[in-house]
Amino acid sequence: MKMNKMKIWVACGIFCVLSVLISSWYAVTFNDSRLVVPMDCTDYVFHIKDLPMIVSVSCTCLYVLSLFTMLFIYVKRKQRQVEETNITRKINPRLGFLGVLGFLGFVGFWTYPIDGRVSPFAFFLFFGFFGFFYEGKMSGTFMDERFRENIACAKLKAYRITFSIMFVALLVLCQGKLFGSLEYTLIAAIIILSLALALGLFLSEYLLYHYDHDEQADQGEA
Amino acid sequence: MTEFECRLKKYRQMKDLTQEQLAEKVGVRRETIMRLEKAQYNPSLKLAIDISRVVEATIEEIFVFK
Repeated sequence: MKMNKMKIWVACGIFCVLSVLISSWYAVTFNDSRLVVPMDCTDYVFHIKDLPMIVSVSCTCLYVLSLFTMLFIYVKRKQRQVEETNITRKINPRLGFLGVLGFLGFVGFWTYPIDGRVSPFAFFLFFGFFGFFYEGKMSGTFMDERFRENIACAKLKAYRITFSIMFVALLVLCQGKLFGSLEYTLIAAIIILSLALALGLFLSEYLLYHYDHDEQADQGEA
Repeated sequence: MTEFECRLKKYRQMKDLTQEQLAEKVGVRRETIMRLEKAQYNPSLKLAIDISRVVEATIEEIFVFK
């Protein structure tokens, strides 16, 4: 993305955040906090003073939606570029540090006893981002037929391991209540599924690097 | 995998080509040529044909399946 275009997008983002903040302040000060505090929307009647809040929130939603659309278009363009040039996509290995977000899954052990929320356990999925570390190391590699074979082998092995873990987990969890509670079974299912998927994401990249790297090491010795 | 003997190195040297040059001509990485020469990689038919054209030898002369 060009610098000027980037600046425009950042400016739009700042404008959206500011407009929401100002309209929230307006609603709290002059409109009895309507649309700021939770309210029953079933008998909602439009007031002219609601307009700033509605406009600013709509603008922000539109902005976020266009950001996602741009991200989607960018990813598609990159995929097409990879197919055309036969060169792996360029990724900074430091993106692998995003895998640390997987530790957010442990938040579930804190939220579940407090308010019964189990969704944070799904954050264990982010452990899969550690795979970016290896994908980044192979950035810009020319994909010849042997490399593509290695990709297929790595993916196959990763999916086999993932599938086996899920299969064993299914057999164990189907037994019913874990430690006498069905909720514990649900928690265990979320954790195992998240970790298995994360492992699948990570392993496909790690194994590919391992195959390619090992072969190169062999050649170095020869 | 079927075992085979690869005589690519001999034919490549006869044409005075480096691994890098051959790899570039047939559109693969140098590591793939190395693997081929050590008979550790079984190439696709297309790659085998491309190589045979570049080194001007038949596929049977380059790859000897046992």
